[in-house]
Amino acid sequence: MPGERIEQRSRLRAERPPSTATLVIRGGRDTPDKLRSHAQRTARAWSLDGQPLLGISVFAVLDIPLDELLRRRFTSFRTIYLPTVARLAEHGFGLLATGQRPHFTIHLHRADDQELTHLLTALGAPQPNPQYARSAVWREES
Amino acid sequence: MYHVDITADLNDEDETGYVWTFLDEARDPSQIKPGSLVVAGDEDAAAICQVIDLTPAGDGTIVHLKLLPGLVDDYRALVERALAS
Repeated sequence: MPGERIEQRSRLRAERPPSTATLVIRGGRDTPDKLRSHAQRTARAWSLDGQPLLGISVFAVLDIPLDELLRRRFTSFRTIYLPTVARLAEHGFGLLATGQRPHFTIHLHRADDQELTHLLTALGAPQPNPQYARSAVWREES
Repeated sequence: MYHVDITADLNDEDETGYVWTFLDEARDPSQIKPGSLVVAGDEDAAAICQVIDLTPAGDGTIVHLKLLPGLVDDYRALVERALAS
């Protein structure tokens, strides 16, 4: 049975915003269409102040080193985006402290072509993930 | 290129710490049950996940997924090894 959107305002973590130099990780290789789909999924499930929340998930490098976070959470991604908080802010994107630390949601306003293209620019070029396929599953030597 | 059981953004997490997506994004929603192993993600990035639970939210049902270690290809190799005569 369908329910209400999950209101995020009261669920946001009460913590200081990450410093501008903080690196932000997003796994994958995005396109405007993919980002639109992900933002709309978030808006379907979540609201902020009673309005559907258009957002894209990222993780901030806060408490553990970058490589450790990549190894724990991103080994299935061949490529990652690695902008700083400052770079996102320069492009007008803010972060909401959603979920468990260090997960954040980049808050979008329209998720239209212009904003999504702008977000892709803010994320920067995708780069190889140094922890890709660092598997915990035993692999035969080839 | 992966052919996933359920489309998800593997970056998405909520307060449970699990990846989440909507049940109606599954190829066969009837197969998405707590405890099931599924391939989740999209054509570029996919992972083996265990279905944790299903929860009504928004206009549908949210599926929580636990990311399991390793690549999809690792599991294929693991099974082939186990079944090799």
